[in-house]
Amino acid sequence: MSTALRGLLLAAGLGLIGYGLYGLLGDPYITDPVDVLVWGFGGLVLHDGLWVPLLCLLGAFLVRGPVLRGWLVVAAAVTAVGLPAVLRAGDDGGNPSVLPLPYLRNWLLVLAATAGLALLVALVGRWRRRDPAVGRRARAVGFRDRAVRRRAPRGDRS
Amino acid sequence: MESEPADSGTPAARRRYDPPLPAPPSFLRRGPFRANAFTSPLHEPRTVVVVGRWLGAALLLCFLTGLVSHLLQDPPAWLAPHLPARPVNGYRVTQGLHVIAGLAAIPLVGAKLWAVYPRLFEWPPARSVLHALERLGIAVLVAAVLLELFTGLLNTLQWYPWPFPFRQTHFWLGWLATGGLLVHLAVKAPLIAANWWRRAAPVPAGRRAFLTSVFAATGAVTLVTAGQTVPWLRALDLLAPRRPDLGAQGLPVNRTAAQAGTLTVPAGWRLVVDGPRPYELTLAELGELPQYEVELPIACVEGWSATAQWGGVRVSDLLARAGAPTGSDARVTSLEAEGPYRVMEMPAQYADDPLSLLALRVNGEVLTADHGFPARIVAPNRPGVLQTKWVARIEVVA
Repeated sequence: MSTALRGLLLAAGLGLIGYGLYGLLGDPYITDPVDVLVWGFGGLVLHDGLWVPLLCLLGAFLVRGPVLRGWLVVAAAVTAVGLPAVLRAGDDGGNPSVLPLPYLRNWLLVLAATAGLALLVALVGRWRRRDPAVGRRARAVGFRDRAVRRRAPRGDRS
Repeated sequence: MESEPADSGTPAARRRYDPPLPAPPSFLRRGPFRANAFTSPLHEPRTVVVVGRWLGAALLLCFLTGLVSHLLQDPPAWLAPHLPARPVNGYRVTQGLHVIAGLAAIPLVGAKLWAVYPRLFEWPPARSVLHALERLGIAVLVAAVLLELFTGLLNTLQWYPWPFPFRQTHFWLGWLATGGLLVHLAVKAPLIAANWWRRAAPVPAGRRAFLTSVFAATGAVTLVTAGQTVPWLRALDLLAPRRPDLGAQGLPVNRTAAQAGTLTVPAGWRLVVDGPRPYELTLAELGELPQYEVELPIACVEGWSATAQWGGVRVSDLLARAGAPTGSDARVTSLEAEGPYRVMEMPAQYADDPLSLLALRVNGEVLTADHGFPARIVAPNRPGVLQTKWVARIEVVA
């Protein structure tokens, strides 16, 4: 990317940030911008200080195999999006067309259906590994965040 | 991930504009700060770029569609006369995409932040003033994006556990997040460019499985929620806060009559039309005017939309009857006592549109209170909050 384009992108980005800050601080409806700061910073701390460390520990010590990992990624995503509806089900503020579905049942249904699919993928993988022609490719999967001291240091990791 | 090489200027010149900072004593380098604290081979730039491209695209789509929504809902005076009444489904598509892309960004941002997580513990924490500023910028970017996705998701459920107003905060944080994203792209451009295409180097173990699971997660989230606006995905609408066919008269409601305080219409209600030749009409008299049937969507800012068959009187007929010159704007006032959309401005291109109705019926039935009895506005390509319900008065605006 040319330096000029990079500079343009940088300037545009700084301009947008400036406009956003100006608006956030000057908006008559946002009476206390500190609230926004607290919630923004709070989200950052919860995500980086609690959620990701938990994820790394789980991945390093408990969860093995690409299919189980993959399903957990899917389950986490579906939960992140669906859990508010599960928690909030029935609380429609007097408007029955908000949250009209059985969300707990649906959430479990999605988890079960994706688990079933994952199981199918695992079985197909096992069956294919018995076929030597495709075995080599199939073995090259599996991502992990293994415990620290067990492995030799590698330069390409930060 | 290696940081990009110094790209301009001599070391001396660089130091002048970007004074180095002293490194903290090395005995502080413990825990996650150690050199090989994170051992997954997927904390590497190519994985980050593959996920980041999709995340960046989703966030930019959110920003642009959000801007469209903001301008349609609350246009500056110079823009109002130029807003298009076509395509009929325009707002339905842009706002549907806004929420679809926002929900898709949730697994993508999770994957992206996991992949770059070791960078949070890079050593030294700040090499120079510019480096410190860049890292501060990343913190603002991540905080703004996380809060945007969180508030956006909860808003679709009409759940507001925070102390600030949703709409204004979501709007301004969008500028902050997008600005932060552009700065981030500018700073990381060489690294992104170097990893844009797959290199000849061997693929790290597990990358394909990881990327597959992230895209499967994104797909799953989309499939079980997009049915709140995409008709052919309705059967899979399992976790979205709305379903387009569930609600009074087979149509969801954003604000009920009970919430708006319009359950009972004042006895002797008459539509007041103000203009050069003002007049009033009872509901029965409205029913005697030429009636039209149109198919138009209600498209809510919260991301759901539903098409319905509306019947009623053309807004343009009502304005013409009041002696309004063609090209007049209209102002519509609701019976509701308060609410930010009680008074709605309707620029001429919508008021003149043959599809814009003062609707008395929906899907063949007389409107119920929740859908705006005795009369409501429906117009093409407008946010749902401007489809004013419980209409009391229409004014010709010169």
